Amino acid sequence: ECGHISLSDPIIHLGGPVTASCTIGQNCRHLKLQSEILWKLESEFQPGGRQQHLPDGSLESTITLPHLNHTQAHLSCYLRWGNSLQILDQTELQAGYPPPKPYNLFCLMNLTINSLICQWEPGPDSHLPTNYTLKSFQSRGNCQTQEKPIPDCIPAAGQSHCSIPRKYLLLYQNIGIRVQAENKLGTSLSPQLCFAPMDLVKLEPPILKALAPRPEGDPAQPGCLWLHWHSQNSTLFIKQKCELRYQPHLAEVSWALVAPLPSRILRHELCGLLPATAYILQLRCIRSPLPGHWSDWSPSVELNTTEQ
Amino acid sequence: PLGLASSLPPSFLLKCLEQVRKIQADGAQLQERLCATHKLCHPEELVLLGHSLGISQAPLGSCSSQALELTNCLSQLHSGLFLYQRLLQALAGISPEITPTLDLLQLDVADFATNVWQQLEDLGVTLTGPPTQSPMPTFISAFQRRAGGVLVGSNLQSFLELAYRALRYLAQP
Repeated sequence: ECGHISLSDPIIHLGGPVTASCTIGQNCRHLKLQSEILWKLESEFQPGGRQQHLPDGSLESTITLPHLNHTQAHLSCYLRWGNSLQILDQTELQAGYPPPKPYNLFCLMNLTINSLICQWEPGPDSHLPTNYTLKSFQSRGNCQTQEKPIPDCIPAAGQSHCSIPRKYLLLYQNIGIRVQAENKLGTSLSPQLCFAPMDLVKLEPPILKALAPRPEGDPAQPGCLWLHWHSQNSTLFIKQKCELRYQPHLAEVSWALVAPLPSRILRHELCGLLPATAYILQLRCIRSPLPGHWSDWSPSVELNTTEQ
Repeated sequence: PLGLASSLPPSFLLKCLEQVRKIQADGAQLQERLCATHKLCHPEELVLLGHSLGISQAPLGSCSSQALELTNCLSQLHSGLFLYQRLLQALAGISPEITPTLDLLQLDVADFATNVWQQLEDLGVTLTGPPTQSPMPTFISAFQRRAGGVLVGSNLQSFLELAYRALRYLAQP
């Protein structure tokens, strides 16, 4: 190897200085190379190389680029050889920022897959490969002290969410949790959350079904609908409340809401609607009185109200 | 209910009731799986085997309404949960189809035991350490382990039924 570039640090703060040295070894002298070392950043020559002969007879040039504004750039070391310039070595510079603080950390307890799912915003691009880790621990009080560590949750590459399996969780005890971002220029931590996983439970959408008008034959009241619903079996152990929303189909009318409703009902009569009209209805539920998150709305049910 | 129940955080009893219901649902699923997979559907047919295996039932006398005393009841509840947690651990390797259900049940029982234990500590009840550790049954065959699962599941349901009644009594406004 004839020439070799060495760098103070291949990872540089974007806009910051970078210092490099190119050393031409003794084994290159027989090529009768003129002794001026030249530097190129990408395809532009860079003046300001300071050249010196080292005690062992090799030739070294050192250059400082005051402001590196490329996130990625090739730095090359040249020597003249006859009428041509010979590239002796090249290195790749990478510049970026320390990782910004992740923010908007948000978690949900999913009882169907039995995992605590957390997501966050990574913040602006640091232009450097950045690793994110969800760090958490079990805690007694308000997460000021750590009772028992929970294994780090490493998201898939490029993802901003991670799932902690149930076996690491005590559903009714507090967990302290935060996101760590790390790249070659530093580490940053999101603000910490402190909660009991069960208090962030998000239920599966309930099952909403239409019922035929009253079977006993008495004339069905106009402008009424009959429904029944129940929450998913996996969440029957949770006391819940629900809310129903409905609107005339194809009408630019905002949703009407009926709340609070129980999480299971065999027959619910909804009246006061426009007669002979198609309606769209949806239901959602939430753990109550204990805290939780609203489920998604159930799939729509479309029903026609009775004639006049 | 007793004045001491007012010393409990309001959500504690609601969470306990929810945890009991969750464990009951897990337990019912365990029994359904054991019945569907191994045709072991009737705990009453396993009483003799239960005696020979030494599968004990956890007492909950301090939670019966006549003698209900809050800290004794919670302590006995914790001891019982701790016993069932160990019994469920002893069933490890029951069968591949049942293991996921058993693991979840064990997690939920351990979760509830921790919740009660920590509440007792917060009440200032000094607990000397994990409850007395009665010897665990040893299962020498896959059948015994599955039969043990039916018995432990059935005993746990009865235990939880008593606990639920006591907690609901305590939770009355």
